[in-house]
Amino acid sequence: MRKIYILAVVVVLLAVVALSVGATSVDSVWATIFNPNFGSTELSDQIIWQIRAPRILGAVLLGAILAIAGVLAQGSTNNPLADPAFLGTTAGAALGVVIGVLTNVVSIAAIGSIAWATFGALLATLLTFWLARNALQLIIIGIAVSATLSAIVGIAITVADRSDARSVTFWSLGSLSLLTWSNVALLVVVAITIFVSARTLAPQLDLLSLGDAQVRHSGRDPQRIRLIAFVILSVAIATAVSQVGTIAFLALAAPHIARFLVGPSHRNLVGAAAVIGALILVIADTGARSIAPPQDLPIGLLISLIGAPALILALKRGGVQWR
Amino acid sequence: MALIEVRDVTISRGNVHVIKGLSLAVNEGSITAIVGANGSGKSTLIGAFAGDYPLDAGQITIRGRDLAELSLAEQSRLRSVVTQNQFFWLAFTVRQVIEMGQASENLSRVESVVSQLGIDQILGQSVLTLSGGQLQRVAIARALVCDTPIYLFDEPLASQDKKSKADLIELFGRMRDEGKTIVIVMHSEKSDLDWCDQVIEDLS
Repeated sequence: MRKIYILAVVVVLLAVVALSVGATSVDSVWATIFNPNFGSTELSDQIIWQIRAPRILGAVLLGAILAIAGVLAQGSTNNPLADPAFLGTTAGAALGVVIGVLTNVVSIAAIGSIAWATFGALLATLLTFWLARNALQLIIIGIAVSATLSAIVGIAITVADRSDARSVTFWSLGSLSLLTWSNVALLVVVAITIFVSARTLAPQLDLLSLGDAQVRHSGRDPQRIRLIAFVILSVAIATAVSQVGTIAFLALAAPHIARFLVGPSHRNLVGAAAVIGALILVIADTGARSIAPPQDLPIGLLISLIGAPALILALKRGGVQWR
Repeated sequence: MALIEVRDVTISRGNVHVIKGLSLAVNEGSITAIVGANGSGKSTLIGAFAGDYPLDAGQITIRGRDLAELSLAEQSRLRSVVTQNQFFWLAFTVRQVIEMGQASENLSRVESVVSQLGIDQILGQSVLTLSGGQLQRVAIARALVCDTPIYLFDEPLASQDKKSKADLIELFGRMRDEGKTIVIVMHSEKSDLDWCDQVIEDLS
């Protein structure tokens, strides 16, 4: 766990560095960072504290939320390939928000859009859950549910041709550019809730790794544990999707990298994956903002570019055995 | 007296009646072996005792209570189960696996159980590094820690070497003498089963 505390400090340091990086060059950037004046109308204060800071803090929180969702997905299905995107959750959340926006009930990233996303995410995840006969089927059926719902989102967005419904790219690769302080406040609440509930469920996820029969034999219902995990991860994914669109791969990669560092026990894994997720997303978002300014690159591209090699490295260093 | 009673039980897997009209009784404080050819329904029967398969007909009772009406938690207080072929993809340690999901009062038994099974030296080892025989003994340790009146073992001796096999048979004998009831699925010849109190061969 010591490595994780060190990485948590690294996340904080990187977040501060990230404040100084961006498309617009800011006068006396470090002075502005170390003498924060939130109410100021100075351009440098505005850029650093009203645009960059909420976005960077949002990246930290969303990285943690997505990674914990990945831990829940892999733990509850007892499958190293599981990812909320493969359970239908992510596509369900996107469809929920798109329906909400196209029917003029909510706007993207508004608090109300989380409710729509949660509704869609829960419905899609429970559909997968209901259709699958066992843990193995969950993934294949989830991918099918996901593909169906993603196609509907793509068609709806293209046909509706409304700029406020965002682009197909937003729904497939994500962007953090809409984040403001009010989003961040909400993300803090969700992140804490998800973290605490995932930690509480952790011993039961450990038990699930023995297989459904063993869980039943020890007096618990494996499907009930799975259902609780799905509800938590649906809220997590719904929050992420409604705020920043679909961010792929992070939820899959972060738990594996974290397992390499702290071992498989879910109680430690929840926190460790959250730190890894935050780290990857902060680096990726800083890259997205600064590689080709003033363009904001889709965050999903950067995540894959950083997360995938990190994942391969972790698996290779772990040898044939996953720790 | 009979602790487990099986009355006219029929169980199908798919369209095949694996077990048909079976009746038997298992006495408290005894060792019962279920033997027979591959596919003869041995594992299905022990699975039915464990509550894994619904019955097409008949009834299984434990201490006079219908198994079908017992909750998972009630069943887990009556019996512990060791299945065949444990699969792991996560590198939990032996100790973590044995302690998973155990009630806190069971944890005090871990040390004595693992030394009885000769796995006290590998408690810190990853389960991914274990042999088949060691994995079986880890699974048996999980069951023994629960200290239930009934133990259901599916082929616990299959991957054990000669000495481990003899040690386990001796341990099962001691457990019976303490009043435990043991049901074991095995591949042995009937002549090798003189340490059992009852041998069940014909399930159909």
